[in-house]
Amino acid sequence: MAKQKKKGQAGQAKNYITRTQAVRKLQISLPDFRRLCIFKGIYPREPRNIKKASKSATHSTTFYYTKDIQYLLHEPLLQKFREQNALSKKIARSLGRNEVQDAVRLEKYAMPKIKLDHIVRERYPTFVDALRDLDDALSLLFLFANLPSTSAVPAKVIARCQRLCHEFEHYLITTHSLRKSFLSIKGIYYQATIQGQDIMWLVPYKFVQRITQDVDYRIMGTFVEFYCTLLGFVNYRLYTSIGLVYPPKFDVASDERGAELSAFTLEGHRVAGAIEQKEDEQKTLTNGDGQVQNSETLQAQINKIAQEADVEDDTKQDEVPEEQADSGTIDTFVPAAPEGDTLPQPDLSGDEAGTLFSNFTFFISREAPRHPIEFLLRAFGCKRIGWDPVLGDGAFTHDETDPRITHQVVDRPALAQALPAVQGQETPNDQKLQVVKPGYIIPGRVYVQPQWIWDCVNEGKLLRTDLYAPGATLPPHLSPWIRPTSGQYDPRATLEEQEPAGEADEDAGDDEAEGEVSASEGEDEEDESGEEDEAVDAGDMDVAGSEDESAEEEVDGFSGFDDAEDASDVSSDLDDEAQHQKELEAEASGRPVPVAHSKEEARKAKAIKARQTAQSKKEEEIERQKMMMSNKKRKLFEKMQHSNNKRDSEAEKLRAKRRKLEKAGKTKA
Amino acid sequence: MGESKKRKAVTKDVEEDAAIVSGDEFDFGQLDGSLSDDDSASGSDAESLTSGAEDDSDAVSIGSDEVPWEEKVESGLLTSKQDGGSVTVDIGAGENDAPGKDQEAEKSEDETPNYRIVKDANGNDRYEYDEIDPGEDSDYSVPDGEANTIGDIPLSFYDSYPHIGYNINGKKIMRPAKGEALDALLESIEIPKGWTGLSDPSTGKPLQLSQQELELLKKVQMNEVATDGYDPYEPTVEWFTSKTETMPLTSAPEPKRRFVPSKHEAKRVMKIVQAIREGRILPYKPPKEEEAEEDEVPNYDIWADEQPRPDHAMHMPAPKLPPPGFDESYHPPPEYLPDKKEKEEWEKREEEDREKDYLPTDYSSLRKVPGYGRFLKEKFERCLDLYLAPRVRRTKLNIDPESLLPKLPSPDELRPFPTHEAGRFHGHKGRVRSLAIDPSGQYLASGGDDGTVRVWTLMPQREVWSVSVGPENAVNVVRWRPGKDTPILAACAGDDIYLCVPRLGTDAGPEAEAAQAVLDAGWGYAASESNTPKSSLVKWSRPSSTQREQGVAIVIHLGHTAKTLSFHSSGNHFVTICPATTVPASQAIAIHTVSKHQTQLPFRKRLKGGGSPQVAHFHPSKPILFVANQRVIRAYDLSKQSLLKIIQPGARWISSFDVHPTSSSTAGSDNLIVGSYDRRLLWMDLDLSPRPYKTLRFHEKAIRTVRFHPATNRYPLFADGSDDGSIQVFHGQVTSDMMSNAQIVPLKVLRGHKVTGGLGVMDLDWHPQHPWLVSAGGDGTCRLWVS
Repeated sequence: MAKQKKKGQAGQAKNYITRTQAVRKLQISLPDFRRLCIFKGIYPREPRNIKKASKSATHSTTFYYTKDIQYLLHEPLLQKFREQNALSKKIARSLGRNEVQDAVRLEKYAMPKIKLDHIVRERYPTFVDALRDLDDALSLLFLFANLPSTSAVPAKVIARCQRLCHEFEHYLITTHSLRKSFLSIKGIYYQATIQGQDIMWLVPYKFVQRITQDVDYRIMGTFVEFYCTLLGFVNYRLYTSIGLVYPPKFDVASDERGAELSAFTLEGHRVAGAIEQKEDEQKTLTNGDGQVQNSETLQAQINKIAQEADVEDDTKQDEVPEEQADSGTIDTFVPAAPEGDTLPQPDLSGDEAGTLFSNFTFFISREAPRHPIEFLLRAFGCKRIGWDPVLGDGAFTHDETDPRITHQVVDRPALAQALPAVQGQETPNDQKLQVVKPGYIIPGRVYVQPQWIWDCVNEGKLLRTDLYAPGATLPPHLSPWIRPTSGQYDPRATLEEQEPAGEADEDAGDDEAEGEVSASEGEDEEDESGEEDEAVDAGDMDVAGSEDESAEEEVDGFSGFDDAEDASDVSSDLDDEAQHQKELEAEASGRPVPVAHSKEEARKAKAIKARQTAQSKKEEEIERQKMMMSNKKRKLFEKMQHSNNKRDSEAEKLRAKRRKLEKAGKTKA
Repeated sequence: MGESKKRKAVTKDVEEDAAIVSGDEFDFGQLDGSLSDDDSASGSDAESLTSGAEDDSDAVSIGSDEVPWEEKVESGLLTSKQDGGSVTVDIGAGENDAPGKDQEAEKSEDETPNYRIVKDANGNDRYEYDEIDPGEDSDYSVPDGEANTIGDIPLSFYDSYPHIGYNINGKKIMRPAKGEALDALLESIEIPKGWTGLSDPSTGKPLQLSQQELELLKKVQMNEVATDGYDPYEPTVEWFTSKTETMPLTSAPEPKRRFVPSKHEAKRVMKIVQAIREGRILPYKPPKEEEAEEDEVPNYDIWADEQPRPDHAMHMPAPKLPPPGFDESYHPPPEYLPDKKEKEEWEKREEEDREKDYLPTDYSSLRKVPGYGRFLKEKFERCLDLYLAPRVRRTKLNIDPESLLPKLPSPDELRPFPTHEAGRFHGHKGRVRSLAIDPSGQYLASGGDDGTVRVWTLMPQREVWSVSVGPENAVNVVRWRPGKDTPILAACAGDDIYLCVPRLGTDAGPEAEAAQAVLDAGWGYAASESNTPKSSLVKWSRPSSTQREQGVAIVIHLGHTAKTLSFHSSGNHFVTICPATTVPASQAIAIHTVSKHQTQLPFRKRLKGGGSPQVAHFHPSKPILFVANQRVIRAYDLSKQSLLKIIQPGARWISSFDVHPTSSSTAGSDNLIVGSYDRRLLWMDLDLSPRPYKTLRFHEKAIRTVRFHPATNRYPLFADGSDDGSIQVFHGQVTSDMMSNAQIVPLKVLRGHKVTGGLGVMDLDWHPQHPWLVSAGGDGTCRLWVS
């Protein structure tokens, strides 16, 4: 006989450790343990069998993987934590002795600094690993960059987050690696692709965040601490990989004036090299003031481009896709038939992204959100962005009347009339900025709402601007991440393309009946009533024809299948009979016979009925098959069906809503 | 206790002086001996006292260890006082020390003679005294037996003698060997220098030690310091005197600097003070702020030498958040906006129960979009999820649900089967309890609560014949006798069984005559054979004239109500069962022989396990009778008259069963379907298992009847009728292949019978040639279902 194994010596009992045990093993306090877990990325596990993992455990017990905890035992951070503990005792003691200065000094200077470099390296052995995990980091850092400073969130942390985020944005701008963006009710989603990794993050709108009490800032702060370190290293790597110096120069004064992105100056590695410098100049984003005082030639050039853009605005839109077709890019394969699989294709490359807005000069109005628009435009190739001086420093121009401006982003109700004397007043070197009254437009430029930029970016091409004119009802803003899949509702496609055959008819039938009923209530004309009778009759026939089957289906799960032809034959016979009967009745009462109309309707009704019978037949068949399955399999099947049905019903609901809306629109028209 | 006893003895002996405990070794034996010598009352007194003291001390000692010391002392005193009062006992131990004691001892000597009087050689009295044991500390020495007794004279007197004196017994003590002799002997043996007599353990040779080594050893033995020249007792040298001198050693005056503060020191202190004032010296280490600032900005590439590491099997990266959908847009398509009802529902729900944590809202332009209030909360929850939520890897089943469905034969292959109602038979008042289609397939017989048996033509639903067997008795069963040429109908009503020859045509055809002949043949047999007393209970009799007019040929009086009747395939036998519990067990099952007009009651005792018998059927081809009681079906071999098999379908109350007509010949095993009142339809394969092969539970109410199609080769169908008013039709193919099991496919639910009084379908029967079904309902109609 083999040696008997003792319980609790191997397997799950050894692999998992409860949180209490872990804390005791590491000899630290629970908050410290939490911090350590956050830094090290250690998370609880769920053993397959809780009772096997620990006898006394309940479902609320938290388990960790024993190996994880074991690795923690020789973590250098533990020593730091202990030092911090010792220091906090010292501080408490000096406070107790009323030596406040000492306490302050200790707290200020003697606090052991925690460095997380080694953890970054440990958690992300390769750079790509780090990129893969950047989603949450960016989302949280962008949130913290927009938080008001409180005692829980010191201003220093906020400033650091802001800097890191701006640096990261600069990288995206330089490499044109931003791909998509989406205006949601929560904030603005961005997606960038760096080294083949898709990184998506969410940036809140520029409002003061509501500070709630049910949020533990210590935990968030711990996360932020780690993410800051991570993003710092990622930024370093990103910058150096494209030959830039990290950290970029940061102009504090400019930042205080609200320059945001423009407060940074990117530098190449070899400043001495003349060629490099030239390149750098292109890359460098300096303060707007400096750029306004450009050489005359450059201005002329820009003017020319701007004018060209003005003139050939319409033609350009056509040209752009052509140019793309000429280059050696991949053609998009759109499946012709819905059955085929859709193969994934790469999104637009950085080059394409970099040229989307490169020919335009934008001006951002006072009311439009400057930062996201600026970031997006820059990331998609736009070099010249001006904005209202209210919005801060660093613009290409603060002059709204600047003739070089091709597009103006406005978010106002409707712009009424042209500014009367703009043409004559054009003085670019004028120190005093032209003040354009709100409501006036300057001819020679395109006014768009901000959504235009987002939609262009997501589509990868320039869209018609007239749809996005100020005051116009905007087309719906769609999420670029939801790809049309079978069974799901796609708002881009027309209703006819995606609804299963007959759904519209059915719906229409219902609606018609409703409509007619309401109509009959209103007016009591002969014809109307006749029609209505007919409709009602048709309904009756429906019931009569499919009495057996439909009644059964509702009552019982099991129902045999039926002769479809039989049923339809019968019903059609009945229909014909009914039609004949109607005609006779009409003749007898001396009314004109509504032949054509009713025939058409009868055909429709017949089609509906045929579809219904087919549907019910299919369902019957499935029911029949289900009956012969084992219980276990049936449950699995039903579970799978459940999710499918949920999706389908959701799609159907959306389609129904849309149909109603479309109908309402039609009647209005 | 022994200890305490001893202590007591001592205190007694030694009187007041408790400290003297030399009497510890005091011999009890001696004391006893002395006591036994004189039998004075004092001895007994002392003993009693002793025992009292013993008791006392016992009590004390038992009393506990915590007894206060005083008490102990007291008790000690008490005992000692007693001793002092009456110590007259001790003699032997008397010579202890106390000088005052001697007198007492002498006194006691006088009192107790210490000698024995023995006659000596001359015949005079001789006093022989006991030997006095002086004890250990006695001053008197015991004379040594070998000691020299010459007294205080010099030994030189004996120089010329070989002995040196005499011992106590007068024997000469011989002079011991002199040193000279030993020395002489030793000198005669030559010992090498340094010989030790030991052997060196390392070499094995004799160990020799030098003089120095020996000295060393000696020192070690003496616990001295082994080194040479060390004197442990050197005289102390007083380096510093312990005495204070009264006079100074030098007369020089104290220098001034001893009284003036040092300028040099002051200078140095001032320097330090100045440095502190200027901040050059700090009481603590100055912080390096610049350094701290720069520390936060990484200045090296942490992934400079990156090496991909294979992912640990237990590592589960955090799942990414799903991308936002259309409804999260600030300006979504209008169909995504919730209507009023949805909005209300969303708001009404608890925050945790909401499917989405936001409500799709449409803002006509970007400037109208407000801040999202839950942003911070959501991010916080994400943080919590990242470090607090247990991660489990789940494999997602990515299979088409359709693939799970079993492959069933297509419905076209299973056609034809009854699908719809083709006609109704109205006429019965009250429930129709039973019905049957005649073997030719033209006529339908039915019987109901109104006590009539009716025969109908199938296709135009017309009544052709009817007989009333008594309005008070409901017709329970109607069955045709197998055989196309002799239309004989058996009906059970009340306590009787009626065998009828219905008039089907306008006039009696040859079939009717043949049938009459078959029935009449038995009369003669019955007459010739004397009635056995056993079967006297059952009487075959001719019907009354009115009944005869109507076509009843024989009335069998059973005496109990038969509920089921089943013909043997040959048509000569049929079995009836009276399931009522009041029926005696021996009469419940009866087998009737038509040709002999004979009834047998084959079972004497009640079938075991499961109440009264319910249904019985003959095997279609073998001489086997299946009898079902409430829970078990038993198969009896009729030829051997033995129990063949017990089938346990597992139903609580079997209502009916049917034997597959051809399976025993085609597939080699019998297949049964069993219907039960507990809503189960069970398919039993007798060779497979005594348990059901398939259990079908599709009815909502009890199943009344089950029936195989008689022509199973062409139409592998079976059907059941239930109290819920529905008939379910199944495809049940028994394959001839031994390896594969029967294939059962549900085909059709036939609804139509109305449920009246809790009863839906009472009975059903298949058409012998077509896939048609007839059913009898509790609503008083029979229905024909055709394909």
